[in-house]
Amino acid sequence: MTAKNFIYQIKNLKHAYNGRPILDIADFSVERAGIVGLMGPNGSGKSTLLRFLGFIEKPAEGEIRYNGKIEYPFSNAVKSHVALLPQTPYLMKRSVSKNIAYGLVINKKLSDRRIRERVHEALDMVGLDVKAFAGRQWSELSGGEAQRAALAARLALKPDVLLLDEPTASVDAASIQRIKDASIQARHEWGTTIIIASHDRQWLLDICDQAVHLFNGRIFDSAYENILFGPWYPENNGRWKKKTADLQSIIVSRPPHSSAAAVLDPRRVSLHPLSRPVRTDHHCMTGLISQLTLEKNNNNVLVSVQIGNLYLTACASDSPADSPLLFPGQNIKLSYHPDSVHWI
Amino acid sequence: MDFIAEGFVQAFRLLVSLDPETFSAILATLKVSSYSMAASLIVGVPLGFLLGYARFKGRKQIRLIVDTLLSLPTVFVGLVVYAFLSNRGPFGEWGLLFTLPGIAIGQAILALPIVIALTATAVESIDDHLRLTLISLGAGRKQLFLTSLWEVRYGVLAAAVTAYGRVMTEVGISMMVGGNIKWHTRTITTAIALETNKGLFGMGVALGLVLLFIAFFVNVSVSFLRKR
Repeated sequence: MTAKNFIYQIKNLKHAYNGRPILDIADFSVERAGIVGLMGPNGSGKSTLLRFLGFIEKPAEGEIRYNGKIEYPFSNAVKSHVALLPQTPYLMKRSVSKNIAYGLVINKKLSDRRIRERVHEALDMVGLDVKAFAGRQWSELSGGEAQRAALAARLALKPDVLLLDEPTASVDAASIQRIKDASIQARHEWGTTIIIASHDRQWLLDICDQAVHLFNGRIFDSAYENILFGPWYPENNGRWKKKTADLQSIIVSRPPHSSAAAVLDPRRVSLHPLSRPVRTDHHCMTGLISQLTLEKNNNNVLVSVQIGNLYLTACASDSPADSPLLFPGQNIKLSYHPDSVHWI
Repeated sequence: MDFIAEGFVQAFRLLVSLDPETFSAILATLKVSSYSMAASLIVGVPLGFLLGYARFKGRKQIRLIVDTLLSLPTVFVGLVVYAFLSNRGPFGEWGLLFTLPGIAIGQAILALPIVIALTATAVESIDDHLRLTLISLGAGRKQLFLTSLWEVRYGVLAAAVTAYGRVMTEVGISMMVGGNIKWHTRTITTAIALETNKGLFGMGVALGLVLLFIAFFVNVSVSFLRKR
């Protein structure tokens, strides 16, 4: 793929708050007109990365190329072309239609009639009835309606990039569906590149072409990886362990320090029916299947297994002979080799 | 106690008969307070915005100084402005002593910390997401400033009303810098002080009522603006 196919290219980006590293991304590119998902726990740097990609702030080190050029906040190339929707939507103290029209009024040389049309189109896209909502004041909206109105304000600009920070965090199911539909429509109609940070794994995997995991400010290529957090305690055999809430043990290789975190690739995790024995060099745990997800790019089935308070994801094998029949609510054995964890 | 009742009656008579001396003082007060408020708002609102919005070294110390100046004594401002505008002062040649613009300079100095401090407080209350939202919608630096200011317009309005109240009711600056010259620099408050000293309570009460009426009018206007 050539550089021209990428709308964003990040190189050696580093950022810290009060001496605490927040982001450390050596190389990351986003394909034009793609939908990219960012997953990761709280504090992993998702929102900070979106603020940099939205050119709201500048990183302390490194470069962000937008359409091949290094850009900065307020530069003409990004103004009204890159729109970020924050987790908590902010509506200005004015009517819904004036909120949506704001970006058009200050940037685009459009007639009043055209602006009104664009506002109505944007309200339609997010499923807010024009007659009922256009004249409402900012204070007369519910959380979900405010989120959709804020999204409409971005969509009215027909942006090249739409960055969504936890868009489904505090909205109802109907709003989630509308936000998803509007995002897909934006990509389809205007070729908008969409980057979404979310905890809602199922929603994200459903909508995205590519999903990456962010942990401690670093990007991991796949969003499906299991992240295992410490603290770890030594065993006599050179392994280290941590107890789950249901008193099973997670066994790992020697960590760099007792509170280190590790990545466990779902492809290294096997699933077995309860009656079937497990390889002796593997560590085995039992849990409950909580969710089945179809991985878009390769049609792999990802199986989320709840083990006490821990969720591990396994990639169901391609070979039907090895695969147990899987369904949510089923008890199942899960195994992996302790050396297959990768410390981060 | 009769003299108080007599004062109210006389006040009514002076106002209804459009007494020229009374209206000269009212006009002088309105003129001088308009000058001083215009100057303090033009300078104070951007400075207050900067103080509340920007994060720079020494901001807290500047804020502390501005907050301290909220209790600036009017006679002290009068004294300093008198010293600067008198013939011996650095700006003596401008001939502003005992003029309405001279009083306005003093009153602007009095109003400035109020406008700056209260605007800064209003701006500090701006939601962090406003900046992000405006930049996301394509706002440049100028639009960021103007829209943020518009979002806290009620706070800025409150700052202006508070400063106006202080300017309208001060005596020290008007007396020292203006000299309380009849038909010229006599304002409502200096006239009240003078008439009370002379024992002419009617005129004093009349002027006091006018001050209250102006304050009422200003607050009604502000209340109307808030509803829009």
